[in-house]
Amino acid sequence: MATISTQLRNFKEPTKEQLTQLFFSLPPEPLYNGDPSTPDKGMGELEKMEISAMLTVSGEEPCTGKLYLIPPYLAFASLDRKSVRFTIPLCTIRKVERLSARAGVYALGLSLWHQMKIIVQLTALRPTADLFCSLLRDALKSELQRGQMKAVKGFVNTCYSEVMVSLDDSKDGPATKSDEHTESMYLGGLGLKFKFPGDPKKLREASKTKLWISYLKTHGRNLTLLRFPQCTRLVQVGLPNRLRGEMWETLSGSVYLRFANPGEYERILEQNKGRTSTSTEEIEKDLHRSLPEYSAYQSDVGIAALRRVLQAYSFKNPETGYCQAMNILAAAILIYMSEEQAFWLLEVICDRLLPGYYSTSMHGTLLDQRVFESLVHRCLPVIHDHFQQVDVQLSVASLPWFLSLFINSMPMVFAFRIIDCFFCMGPKVLFQVASDNTAILKINGEKLLQIQDDGGFIHLMREYFASLGDSAHPDSPDPRARAITRFQELLLVSFREFAVITDDTILSERRKFRSEVVHSIESFSKRSAIRNLKTLERFNKDQAGLIYDALFKAICIIPPPAVSLPPPTLLTTKEATEERPETRIELRTFKVFLSEICTWARTEKVVSNGFQQRVDREVADHELIDRLFYFWDTAYRGALSFQDLVSGLDGVMFNDLMENIEWFFNLHDKNKDGFLSKDEVLTLCESLLFIFRFEIGDAYLGAVSRFMSNAFEYGDALLPAKEGPNGEEELPQIESNQPYINLATFRMVVLADEILESFFETDFSATFKLEPVPMMEIPNSNNGILGGLWSNIASDDNRKIFHKFTDEIGKSIGKHQILYRPAIGKFTTLEEPKARESLLTPTMRRSASKASLSATDSSTSISVATSQLSQLNVDLDASTTSLPSSIFSPVPPMLQAANAVAFMERTPFAIDDAKDDDEESEDGSEFEDGVMDEVDAFIEAHDTGLTEAERELAKDLINAEPVK
Amino acid sequence: MADAASGSTDRSVQVKLVLLGEAAVGKSSVVLRFVSNEFQANKEPTIGAAFLTQKCRLEDRVLRYEIWDTAGQERFHSLAPMYYRNAQAAVVVYDVTKASSLEKAKTWVKELQRQANPNIVIALAGNKIDLVQPSSSSSSTPSSPEPEDEADDATATPGENAGDGEGESLRQVPREEAEAYAQEAGLLFFETSAKTGEGIVEIFTEIAKKIPIDQILASSRGGANRAGAAGGRAAGQEGGVNLDENAGKGKDACNC
Ligand SMILES: Nc1nc2c(ncn2[C@@H]2O[C@H](COP(=O)(O)OP(=O)(O)O)[C@@H](O)[C@H]2O)c(=O)[nH]1
Ligand SMILES: [Mg+2]
Repeated sequence: MATISTQLRNFKEPTKEQLTQLFFSLPPEPLYNGDPSTPDKGMGELEKMEISAMLTVSGEEPCTGKLYLIPPYLAFASLDRKSVRFTIPLCTIRKVERLSARAGVYALGLSLWHQMKIIVQLTALRPTADLFCSLLRDALKSELQRGQMKAVKGFVNTCYSEVMVSLDDSKDGPATKSDEHTESMYLGGLGLKFKFPGDPKKLREASKTKLWISYLKTHGRNLTLLRFPQCTRLVQVGLPNRLRGEMWETLSGSVYLRFANPGEYERILEQNKGRTSTSTEEIEKDLHRSLPEYSAYQSDVGIAALRRVLQAYSFKNPETGYCQAMNILAAAILIYMSEEQAFWLLEVICDRLLPGYYSTSMHGTLLDQRVFESLVHRCLPVIHDHFQQVDVQLSVASLPWFLSLFINSMPMVFAFRIIDCFFCMGPKVLFQVASDNTAILKINGEKLLQIQDDGGFIHLMREYFASLGDSAHPDSPDPRARAITRFQELLLVSFREFAVITDDTILSERRKFRSEVVHSIESFSKRSAIRNLKTLERFNKDQAGLIYDALFKAICIIPPPAVSLPPPTLLTTKEATEERPETRIELRTFKVFLSEICTWARTEKVVSNGFQQRVDREVADHELIDRLFYFWDTAYRGALSFQDLVSGLDGVMFNDLMENIEWFFNLHDKNKDGFLSKDEVLTLCESLLFIFRFEIGDAYLGAVSRFMSNAFEYGDALLPAKEGPNGEEELPQIESNQPYINLATFRMVVLADEILESFFETDFSATFKLEPVPMMEIPNSNNGILGGLWSNIASDDNRKIFHKFTDEIGKSIGKHQILYRPAIGKFTTLEEPKARESLLTPTMRRSASKASLSATDSSTSISVATSQLSQLNVDLDASTTSLPSSIFSPVPPMLQAANAVAFMERTPFAIDDAKDDDEESEDGSEFEDGVMDEVDAFIEAHDTGLTEAERELAKDLINAEPVK
Repeated sequence: MADAASGSTDRSVQVKLVLLGEAAVGKSSVVLRFVSNEFQANKEPTIGAAFLTQKCRLEDRVLRYEIWDTAGQERFHSLAPMYYRNAQAAVVVYDVTKASSLEKAKTWVKELQRQANPNIVIALAGNKIDLVQPSSSSSSTPSSPEPEDEADDATATPGENAGDGEGESLRQVPREEAEAYAQEAGLLFFETSAKTGEGIVEIFTEIAKKIPIDQILASSRGGANRAGAAGGRAAGQEGGVNLDENAGKGKDACNC
């Protein structure tokens, strides 16, 4: 019952381009092109470009940074990559104008949907700026052709922010009747009907909403949101309930997926209607235990929505399917957003934000726990040391924090605020908050020492989470300080003191521990696979391990087909899901597997070319191997499991002479009637010839020849003589596919020959060898996999290039030589060739020539050699320079910062003006103060890096006229 | 738990216990029955593992169980070592109405016997027997189940109201079979129902009797550092938090 997964080996470090896309939360490209309604011309050809630019928006400080054209998006990030940024679909750009300003200034005015105007000054050389403009024009044109411009209006109407802003407008101006009409369009979550968790008054919903309205009016919204520092701060004090779902979508970038794939969610559900799978069954089990305390999940409405979203995800991503904890996430986000929105957000969480967390190996989870532990080690050495001493594992508490985004760990309203920040600021938020949770142990040394085991740690954390709503400073004389909750402080301190934990830190830590984690997962599954074998047969565990290794390698090279879902019409098969998933390999993979273990199942060429001598190994191909595959497939599945392979090998590796003869007989007795037909005798000879194909000398050839004539002689002699119709004996006649000789006869014939006898006595079993599989040689086309561990692969590629290179030279100087290594290798000297008699049937001749054919394979013509030479040189260079790319994180500065944090004391954060914290009054002028205080607390100094002159220029630009 | 630190002075002994078994066999329900003597249909799902404690009297001693109720989904399997390391006891649960769940239970037992604390006390619990018992009024059905019964109704969904006479036919795992296996593998054996409470407390008291309490007490009195306390584990480890099942064991652990 083993599933053997090599998916961890396929990991590729993201390229720089992918990192940029990740940063701007852009959907992966194939999805975008895969839209069936648009022919996928265009986007592929459109070029990407980045350029230095200064962004000016009225009401904000101008900001220098970089502008990225990544069709169909335009994106911007300030130099510090965090204070200012935006990602907007090109189709929301309504007009682009070159602005006339001072000489030498190249500025564009972009009018966006939502009546917004932004100005970007391209601070690059003129030709570069011109190029950027022309690329931008092409990209815009293509969007126009795709009809995307028209899609904006309808899409935007599904967003609550539109309603919010227009309601507010109508409050100021004359009331418009269209309000109700638009209101009915927007998408929302279960909370609209079943109430949102938490007390709206306590959450200060009204103040927050007001602040957001004013921000969204001037900085765009949904598709066109511009993110300035105020945006992040407003997120940090908590999103208002009604806006929350949409902001999650916008901040995480799942809105772009929904925009690019209209109707996809419904389509997936429609296409898979009625389908059941392991995932759907697992989902059913968990539907009623996903936030059961929330009223919507006590009703069919909520349960049905949850079911559809989880099922749709599992249909779209069959490899991941469904993982416990996803039910909690989905249930949580469905409170704030519609099913379709939740579906895409779940996709972004599982795919991009928490990669590998919910996969079948959960490697992402394990990796991030390892990363978290290492961060605690650096940032909170005292705690780490104590835990180490009393043998407490952080993960017992922290695992659910990461897996379900704190939702089940702390009161829901607080968890949602962490999630707000998570979507806005990325996964590092989880690490920061988790570190700070752990850090609370530091302030209270007594509590830390109380922790003597895992259970104690959990208890303390629970106690702390339960108290998050309490005042952080209950004894403070200042009433406003008293009003600060522990939760508020938790967030503030997390972001302030653990600012050293950045996206880059996490990326590099993940890189550092990935191979370690992959290794431990793989060795864990190896041990389980061996432990769970029904029988080890006569092998010991180490030998079974070697068989596993060969199997694993084969799977790496030729992956078995994905476990496919049954077609939707054949549903309700209870048995199909009862069976545990088990990795089974097909014939193609089996060939690779066998070539690892069995000498005649591979072709080994000893190549010498004057520079070196090496052994090239190829997987052999012959009917005998296919036959063996089906012989071992005792359950007729067309695929072999680990157990099948172990049992199969057991059947051949421990045999003595008689058993080997019988085994070989049975292998060729296709219909298992205890007889070989004439055809089968011929096939058996072919098999022998295949095994002997590289043996030196003609001894084996002679043996097979004698075997065959003897077999037919005895066979004919033993046929029962039939009475002819006239009473006289007839010559026995028999069809070539009729039962012909039995095991006893076969044995006799084999034993009549000395060479065959010794072959079956010892040599044959010895062609199966369990040896350590050199895992590093896994051929893989991807470069730079898994940093440290897999850097060998890069050098493996290099080796191939080198081999090719030296071979070519060897050929040109006449020193290139290939010898085939024999499978048995008993006879090392050439014997006198014996007369070949008439033993080769036409089919045999074919197979014999096949073997000799491959010898000519590699002798490419010499004339090309020189021209390839120079090119190979280049290749070689390129790959050597790319070698030391497995960089490790620069530890020293990080350590310094971490130590600094470790010694920092937790100071209550400053409150500027102390006032009484009265109940909020809706019409009071200072009603926003409470929120604003909190907002202010999150203000971080950020340097726009602008000179006075640049500021002046920016002012000019805002008022500049378009050219002509 | 404010009294956690003072544990060594009173006579209470702390025992770490882990629950393992296929998803939905009723692990969480068993714990809930034991800890708060109730049965609820809808509960929190188990992410990673749930942690609960419960005291248990045994003669003059009080045992304090620290219970780790693990997630049952197959993919969480690789996280399990994190929870069963250092455990002095384990309850491996299967569902008597689902044959495959016993197979899974067997693999857990194998894993525990090879990877966990060598002195670990393991109990096998066949849960949901309320589903295969005749309703309390009519006790006409013979108490020993016929093995043949398992054959046909295998696909029937175990329903809440299955107890009416037909009960026994839902059974897919005969008591004798599981009991024989438990005997052979050296496990305590129980058939239980979290729903009715049958057999639940017994699991925990029998485990309590079998655990070498004096040994635990002796070693925990030995010193402030309790790292070595749990049933002869080697103290201290280099990797710190480690999800690898070898974490707490010596080199020989790699032999499966
Ligand atoms: N009839 C019956 N149902 C049970 C019993 N124990 C658990 N269940 C039900 O089985 C399902 C799974 O239980 P749960 O404790 O969550 O299983 P876990 O996944 O192993 O923790 C729930 O619907 C329970 O109500 C039992 O003893 N009898
Ligand atoms: Mg559970």
